[in-house]
Amino acid sequence: MAKLLEQVGKQLLRQAGIATPDGRLADSVPQAEEAARDLNGPVALKAQILAGGRGLAGGIRFATTPEEAAHEAAALFGRVIHGRTVERLLVEQCVKINRELYVGIISDAGRRAPAMIVSTAGGMAIEQAIGGHGSASLAIGSIDVLKGAPPYWCLDLIGGLALPGPLLASLANLMSRLYQVYRRYDCNLIEINPLAVTPRGLLALDCRMAIDDDALFRHPELDLARSQEVSDRAPTPLELAAALIDEKDHRGSAHFVQIDPDGELARAQKKISIGFDGVGTGVSMAVMDELVPLGFLPMNFCDTSGNPTASKLYRATRIILSQPGIEGYVFASCLSSQQLDNTARGIIKAFLEIYPGGQPDIPCIFSFRGAWDETAIALMQEHGITASPWVEVLGRDSTEGDLARGFAALHRTWREHRV
Amino acid sequence: MSTVQFDVFSGGSVTIDHDICTGCTTKACIPACQAPSLGSVLIAGPDGLPALSVTPEQAKKGACIECLACDLACRSRGAGGLTFRLPMPELDAILAGQSWPS
Repeated sequence: MAKLLEQVGKQLLRQAGIATPDGRLADSVPQAEEAARDLNGPVALKAQILAGGRGLAGGIRFATTPEEAAHEAAALFGRVIHGRTVERLLVEQCVKINRELYVGIISDAGRRAPAMIVSTAGGMAIEQAIGGHGSASLAIGSIDVLKGAPPYWCLDLIGGLALPGPLLASLANLMSRLYQVYRRYDCNLIEINPLAVTPRGLLALDCRMAIDDDALFRHPELDLARSQEVSDRAPTPLELAAALIDEKDHRGSAHFVQIDPDGELARAQKKISIGFDGVGTGVSMAVMDELVPLGFLPMNFCDTSGNPTASKLYRATRIILSQPGIEGYVFASCLSSQQLDNTARGIIKAFLEIYPGGQPDIPCIFSFRGAWDETAIALMQEHGITASPWVEVLGRDSTEGDLARGFAALHRTWREHRV
Repeated sequence: MSTVQFDVFSGGSVTIDHDICTGCTTKACIPACQAPSLGSVLIAGPDGLPALSVTPEQAKKGACIECLACDLACRSRGAGGLTFRLPMPELDAILAGQSWPS
């Protein structure tokens, strides 16, 4: 999911007619002070970072005067919250809040439909409400995408909530508008929490939005990088480079995420970092489950499935093998219809261009299991990859355990040879 | 002598240098070409040298399925006249200050 910053989400809400507090963006302390002066009253200074739990982590501060706003801004700029450095603030007018509500729409995979969720408690209380421990009541309804969420449908959904009549009407109107934003921007998630009931009416105090990765090409106006799916940290340069592979070519997929980009986790757990690629997530998980107890931790996860082109495998393999510090590479395929000869050609081209004669100087193991697996293995032999003492290729009779144990043995020999 | 050149869908290009292909005894790229439905993208031209069976526009649109069979066949059994470039400028920029893992 590509997440949007609060300020961007709020802008889209305003375009749909959903009110938000008056606010200004600030990239420096003087700008924050000027924004507070413009807003002429108490303000909230909110760090614009793609991370949840921002308030609890100290990413939201309040000020009653411009001078105080400058002081608080100085404390926020440059601060690292959940791995992200604060470089921009949203300075917003504080509003008088009568009560807080929650409204959200998520893509409900189970029901294959968007689900509208409304709670009579917002803010942090939503967690308790969903957990069934609070006094708040919830309304949840699946939206028929062919009919949408017109105000009468929304009103029907929230009719049972203990809310006063006029509030129900304005809330239903807001819900309907929120669904329009959800649809227009191909969201997986859109959430207003808290939705404040104020003397001025309903105000969205916060906004979380996440766009479906596969629809990002439809929204160039949002200028989002595909790899923002890696959630609570900024994408690595390699992830950004890898995201371009699928962006330019829809044939098959190459999802690359760095689990342990700097190898810190591996070092802390006294494990060995390796590069990893799998044909399908299931087999990847199974192989990683086998590798970790043997002392290896994949620096990355990569799924090259859906019958990708050989050129896509070439690019993905180059990226995987460019991770500094890896002590090996594991390629795992599942028994699928993916044309593994194409897969092998992409890997072979990458190996030939990276390593002299295509023969790696780190242990590499491959399992080709599935369609054209024998051809794939023959190609690895024909192009000299298997001539390396540090390469082993397994066929369709191998298991995930065989692959992991085979790699461990290969790595052991490689290490002994290095010493 | 002529050169065959076309772009591919994912962003890259194929160049076939007939000056080199003339001395190639196998023309291994031609039988290696496996593009389905439209038939082979690479065929033997009147002079026996690899030629496109489709227009460069069709090749770029996806007639060439980027299976890389021609590339590998030329490397291992041909004379090296075929070059399949798949640029990755973003990765190259990252690697500019970093060596390959060893």
